[in-house]
Parts: sequence; C-alpha cells; structure tokens
Amino acid sequence: MSELLQIGAVNERPKPPRAEDLNLRFSDRAVAELEALKTHYPNWKACILPGLWIAQREYGGFLSGEAIAEVAHRLQRSYAEVEGVATFYSMYNTAHVPGKHKIEVCTCLTCQVCGAYPLWEHLKAKLGIGHGETTADGMFTLEEVECLNACDRAPLIQVGDQYIGPLDTAGVDRLLDELRGRSDSTVVQMADVVVQVHLREPERNPT
Amino acid sequence: MAAVIGTDLVTITINDVDIQVPKGELIVESVKRLGLEIPIFCYHPRMKPVGMCRMCLVEVGFKQPDGSVRKMPKPQAGCTLPASDGMVVFTDTEMVHKDRKGVLEFLLINHPLDCPICDRGGECPLQNNTVFYGPSTSRYIEIKRHLPKAFPLSKYVTLDLERCIQCGRCVRFTEEISGDSQLAFRFRGAQMQPSTFQLLDFESKFSGNVIEICPVGALTSAKYRFRARPWDLETKPSICLECSNGCNVWFDHRASKFVRINGRTNEAVNEEWTCDQGKFGHDWYNDPRRLIQPLIRAEAPELTESAGEAPQAFRPARWADAYDVIAPRFQSQGSRVGVLAGSKISNEGYFLLQKLVREQMKSNNLDHRWTNHLTPREARLEHKFGVNPRQFEIAEIESFSSILVFGGSLADDLPIVFLRVRKAWFQNGCKVVVASSQATDVDSFAHLSLIYRPGSEAALAAGLLHLLAPQTPGVARWTPEAIQEATGVPAAKLREAAEALRSPGMGIVTSHEMLNKPKGPDALEVLAGLAHQVGGRFSVFSCAGNDQGAADLGVLPDTVPGGARVESPGLDTRAILGAAAEGQLDALWLAGCNPFELWPDRDLVTRALENVPFLVVQDSLETEAMAYASVVLPMEAPAEQDGTYTNCEGRVQRLRKVIEAPGDAKEAWRTYQELSLRLHPQAPLFNPSEVLGEISAQVPGYPGPNHEGLLGEGVVVPELGSNPDFSGLESTLGRL
Repeated sequence: MSELLQIGAVNERPKPPRAEDLNLRFSDRAVAELEALKTHYPNWKACILPGLWIAQREYGGFLSGEAIAEVAHRLQRSYAEVEGVATFYSMYNTAHVPGKHKIEVCTCLTCQVCGAYPLWEHLKAKLGIGHGETTADGMFTLEEVECLNACDRAPLIQVGDQYIGPLDTAGVDRLLDELRGRSDSTVVQMADVVVQVHLREPERNPT
Repeated sequence: MAAVIGTDLVTITINDVDIQVPKGELIVESVKRLGLEIPIFCYHPRMKPVGMCRMCLVEVGFKQPDGSVRKMPKPQAGCTLPASDGMVVFTDTEMVHKDRKGVLEFLLINHPLDCPICDRGGECPLQNNTVFYGPSTSRYIEIKRHLPKAFPLSKYVTLDLERCIQCGRCVRFTEEISGDSQLAFRFRGAQMQPSTFQLLDFESKFSGNVIEICPVGALTSAKYRFRARPWDLETKPSICLECSNGCNVWFDHRASKFVRINGRTNEAVNEEWTCDQGKFGHDWYNDPRRLIQPLIRAEAPELTESAGEAPQAFRPARWADAYDVIAPRFQSQGSRVGVLAGSKISNEGYFLLQKLVREQMKSNNLDHRWTNHLTPREARLEHKFGVNPRQFEIAEIESFSSILVFGGSLADDLPIVFLRVRKAWFQNGCKVVVASSQATDVDSFAHLSLIYRPGSEAALAAGLLHLLAPQTPGVARWTPEAIQEATGVPAAKLREAAEALRSPGMGIVTSHEMLNKPKGPDALEVLAGLAHQVGGRFSVFSCAGNDQGAADLGVLPDTVPGGARVESPGLDTRAILGAAAEGQLDALWLAGCNPFELWPDRDLVTRALENVPFLVVQDSLETEAMAYASVVLPMEAPAEQDGTYTNCEGRVQRLRKVIEAPGDAKEAWRTYQELSLRLHPQAPLFNPSEVLGEISAQVPGYPGPNHEGLLGEGVVVPELGSNPDFSGLESTLGRL
C-alpha cells in the first residue's frame, strides 16, 4: 500500500475565489436595491432569490459563476448554497448564456390543441435553432416550456415579462421583427421588472 | 438525542407494545428503545431531520375513544414524526414492507449495481437495507442515469454522482456541523447533485466525515479508494494523537498495515466526528522511513572508510549494544545532560522518562514544551493563583450561554473543540465572541469578532476584565478607549462584546497556542481572573498530542509528577538547546521529537545538535535530527503499543495495541525501563498497567489500571487548584 491511486491532479484542484479576489460588478443602484431588500426579510438567507434577480439584471441576463459568487458575498452566504438555489429554478439563466430575447413557447395541452407545434416548427425553421439554443448573432434564444397558465390565450409565447397570444405564424414573424427593432434586452428588462416588484414604492429607482 | 424537545413523557404504542417516551421524540428514535429498527438513509441522529429519502415510512394511527385504532390513510416518515400521546406506530405491517420495497426500488432505479467495484460494498446502508427490506430483483430495464464517476472533489474526497441517492447528509453536515457550507445541492430532479460551488475544490477542515456518513458509495476517500474491501479489514478501537483532542477512532488495518481511520463514538469527546488532520494524517504508520532497528554511528570513520563504507555511517545494532553505548553517557551526569520530549509518547512513557532522568541521570534538564513562552512553575496558573487551568470538559461547552474564544485559530488548533463551540451556538443559541489577531473559522458564526493587533492580546483581555469586572484592583486604566488605542479594537465593539458575554454561564476557551504570542501568558492570567471574577469558567487547552499527560507526569524541569516543586529546577527547552549550542551539555536525548520542526529558531537547533558530543534520537520516523545522532532508537507508534493518553481536557483514555510495530521498534516506556535497569538494578515494571498503577499512586486523580472508566469514555483528572487567590493579578495588570 505504498502509492495512492488518485485520478487527476487533485492537489491542483481549482479553488473557489477568495472574497478579496472577487470582481464585484453591482452598480450603485443595485447595491442600494439589495440593501433595501435585506430589510424585507428576517435573515439574509431569505434574500437570496431577489438578490439573484438583481444579479441576473446586472450581469446582462446570465447568472455566471461570478454573478453567483457576488450575490453570495454580498449576502454572506456560501457560494455553494447560492449556486444551489440559482440552479434549482429554471427562470434563472445558469445553464447557458441567453440571447437578447428569450422566446418561450408553451407546448402544453391547450396550446398544443390550438396549434403550438406549427408555431414551434416555424420558429425553429426561421431562426435555425432548436430548444435551448441561441442564434449566432446572440439575438434570440428559443425554449419549449411547460404550461404558462394562460390557456385562454393559446397558443401562447412568452417574451420577457410579456405573454403574447393567441398567435399565428404571421404574428410570430411580426413579433420577431418587433423584437429585432428593440434596443434593450427583454431578458434584462424582465429581471428588472421582477426586482421592482420586490421593492416597496419608496425604494424603487434609488438615486 | 438531538431530537428530544421536552422532558414530558407520552405513552405511545409501537407494534402493540406500550412505551413511554419523551414528548416530541422522533419515532425513528423511539423504536430503538424497543430494540426495533427503522431503515434510514437521510436521517442522522446528530442532524436535523429532513424526510428526504422516505425509507423510514411507518404506519401511524391514533387510539379512538372506543379503543379502536384509526390509522392514517398514508404511511408517515418516522424521521420527522414527533411522538405524541396515544400515537400507535406499526413498523412491521404488510403495507410498511410494501412501501419499503417500493422506496428501495425507486432508489435503485438510478443507483448503479456496481457493488463489486464500489468502495462502500460490504458496509453500505443501501446494500444492507436492500438485502433486508428491498426487492430481490429489478424490474427496471431502461437505461440508467449516467454521470461523471470518480470526480475528485478535493484531495481527500472523491465524488461518484451516479451512486448518489440524494439524501443530503453531506450537505447538511457542512451546513449544520462543520459550518463551512461547502456542499449544496445543485440542479434539481434526477439531475440533483451534491457538489461544491462550480465543482471547485472542497475546502473544509472536516471533509472526511462526509465520507463516513454517506449511506452509499457516492463520497469515497481518495486515500482509501480501491485499497481494501471492508471485510478484509480488521478494525480495533484507537485514539488519534495528531492533536490534543484525543478523538476516539476506529483503526482499520490489514496484515498489520494501517489502512484508514474512521470516527468512533465517544459522546464526551468527539461525538463521532474526526477532523481531516486526524482522519488523513495517519499515513506515516506505513512510511518507508519508519525506523526499524537501533542504529549506532560508527565511531572511527577511518575504519569504516577502509571497509568501503561511507564515513560516519550508522551501523545497525542490537538494543543491548545501543544501551551499552548510551548508559555511560547519561549515568549520573547531572546538569551535563538534557532530555527533550515530543507529544506522542504514552503517559507510561513520560512517567518512566522523567523517572529515568531524575533518578538515574540525576538531572532535571527535561522538558516537553516547544512554545515560545516556557512558563516556570510558580508563574503557571495552578500555582500562581491556585486556579485550575481546565475548568470544563469538552462536552460541557454545549451548556454555556456565552463563550469567549480567545487567541489562535480554534479550528486548526483544536478542531473538535471548535465543533463543540459551533454546536453550542447552532443548537443552543449560545453567543460566541471570538478574539484573535486574524480572521478565523469561528467568525462565520460568532456574534462578534474582535481582531486585535498581534501582541496586544493581554491588553484586550484586560479591557474585557475592565468592562465585566470593574471592581478588580488594577484594571481601572484599561478603559475601552485605552483598549482601542492599544489593540485597534473599537471601543464600541468591545462594549458590545462585553454585553454579549455578560452572563453567569460564560465559558472562556483558549489554548496553549497563546504561549506562542508575545503577551500570551499575561493574557491567560487576566482571562483566568476574568472567569473567576464573573463566575464563569475558563480552560486553556493543550494543543499537541499527549502534551497534557507530559505536563501532569512531570516531564518538566521544575515539576515532578503530581505537581510538586523540584528542589533545584533544571533547564527548560530553550535553555537545554542553548546549553547544547554552547557546548555545556555532554549528552542530549530527543525522545520522539524533531526540534527542527518544533522549535522556530532553526539556527539555535542546528548549533545545539552540532555541538552536543553525544545525541540520542528516539523516534518512529527518520527525521532531520538523525543526521546529528550518535545513537538512533526506533520507537513504537501509539497504535502499536498499550498505553494511556491524556487529552486536552485532562481525560485519560486507554489505547490497546492495534498492530505490530515494524522491526525491532520498542515502546518508549520499555526503552526507559530497560535503560533504567542497566543504570541501577531494581525491580522492573513489566507492563504498562503496572506503570499506570505506579502513576495513580503518585499523581492525584490519575486512574489505576483497573479503573472502569478506562473501558468507557475515559477518566477526567479532577481539578488541581481549589483555592483561588488572584491577589497577584494586580501586578500582572500593572506591567501589561
């Protein structure tokens, strides 16, 4: 039993970043918002979810490891715990970098009956991407999602915080053109809306 | 039991047997009182229940007024169900068996059936529960989940995600017990995986425990992987001596070779945990550099050169020859010889060592301390103030309402004490104030962290004394403002800390690490006075192996076993090294210590070992000091001999021989006994029990060899000082 069997160079495992090495990117406004949110909850652990929404906005729609580390650092929680929370919820973009606009197509029962799949196929063909993929120009991400709880408007598409439906293929084309014309990102815009919902009126848009 | 909330008793019925249990006790614990077992995976008695694995399902009902039992329609998880009056529990019905089978079938859907190549095979709760309660065959014919195998989470812990049954024990351990929160569940559903942040390095001082509590082979030890099967291992109880906590461990070995360490339950010491330092720190037992025979340096280089050997080479010798060379060099040499001891010798060894030095060598140049301050006898707390320096046991830390952790880094110096302090905070809401010259692991749960400038520890202690016991003579000038000036700790923060600590159940935890700080001994005196003044309790724990035993058994220049004064004190460690460097010593004996590692002044050590004409190095491993040795004596490691060891709280624990020592290595106590016999014919002591008998006759409080406490949790040596007199504190405060 002389030599140990070890797989990989385990002594050179990458280390989690030290607090002093973090590249903190929250704007003054975001910091003020987070400080306000901290007062809403009995402890900072409860503030992880809104904190992640702020990070999703500040980091351009994608919760990278750095973004998660920053939230953990600002809330004095462990990196692993915050990452566990972020990866649990599908509305936090942790798996891949989303495009400027995330098009979420509901394909559950009602939407399907009302023609969601022709829309889905049309979008796939027009954008040249499949589920969870992003166009080369970084404009659109396409996702097939479970019931969006708006069966009265089937077939339905969610973009940012907007529900759009009922839609046909022509409507989809118009929607894409409209989104291409927008200068801001609906992914970031939605994160901002969620943050604002969490804040009380006097705390919004702090100077 | 962690889950008991109240002491009221309620009557419940388990499988038609009425039994009284504390109200609120979890059913999974209650059934143990009847000798029954509920299979579990996620439940762990020392952590909060979560009810994640559903393995502990039982049928539960309540007695109706007409005497019938109305069962709940669905089975309940026994690990989250508190006992209440009139509850009727069934653990052995057809429905329960069917449920267990179903749960196991679900767990085994994704769990690979690779038991033959799994490290856990043979000691795996999933394997055992499947054999006892599970289906005998699988109905699952689809493709199983595939995930990375053998992923190295850290240099100690290897993660096999396919085998994980998502019970969350490891995640909860890092959150609730060790407190570093390094592990969390990422993703969800079938993809859920316990892992570190972005699968980066698992940095924890207690990571080894997650390997032991994992109920499957998902977390395995990188050091033990594929080294043995559990049924090929022999295991015996042992005690870890890598630090002074004296953790109880299982010493697994195979063919007299050390294989691995697992935690062994001792509620009074380590509960069942180990630290990584201990769990992964025993590899040296198998080190090829182990010394296996006595070596004597060839005296005449020209002769050995002519024989074609390297000059000054060692030649292997018999023990008798080695004693013959050593004996005349040490016999009755008085102040011309010195002995320095390490921290891994048994109490029996220390006792016979000091006896050998005092009676046969006629010397008092004997020390085991390697700290910067080598406090003389009259300056030590027990003699200066008549106060016991260890006023509580490790387990008593849980009962404190506030704790002051002073100096050093507790998680590094005393890892198991750290876990108790954290438990006191986590379970009982104890307020912890930490004072250190740097950030420590205690900060993560401390109520307040006082970071003082290095060297100002005594002033900070005086500041706390000023706020908590202003009536103490001589403390008036240490106002919070003066402390802010002296230590850099803001006055307001100090006041807040004093308020947090102000309670009758205060405990002060500090360690011998303080003796390495510039004003450490003064700080200890002030802290002892503080505890005395406010009615709290104070303990200064030793930090290395069996240091406490060495101190109790008189391996000191000025104290004999039992604490009495020596007429003419000898030299302490620094003076012995200094005398050797000046050529004032004729012979030096290094008993299980390597001064190059232990003494910070490397230059002094080099000069000492170079200038001493005759050097005996007695050790288990080859060390740097061997290069200067005249004679090298191989020493048995702790697990290779019978003996008792005293941990930091003064608990004497017995360690029975586990494995055979390599080669001719000899127990330290036997070496001293045999040399003693050669120097002075006397009735020999034949075994460690006889030595322990002699110790118990001479040292108050030490147990005799037949003390029944040695069979259980060990025997705590009772208080030394009972007559505190802090009149000397004023002068200490005056000179800070």
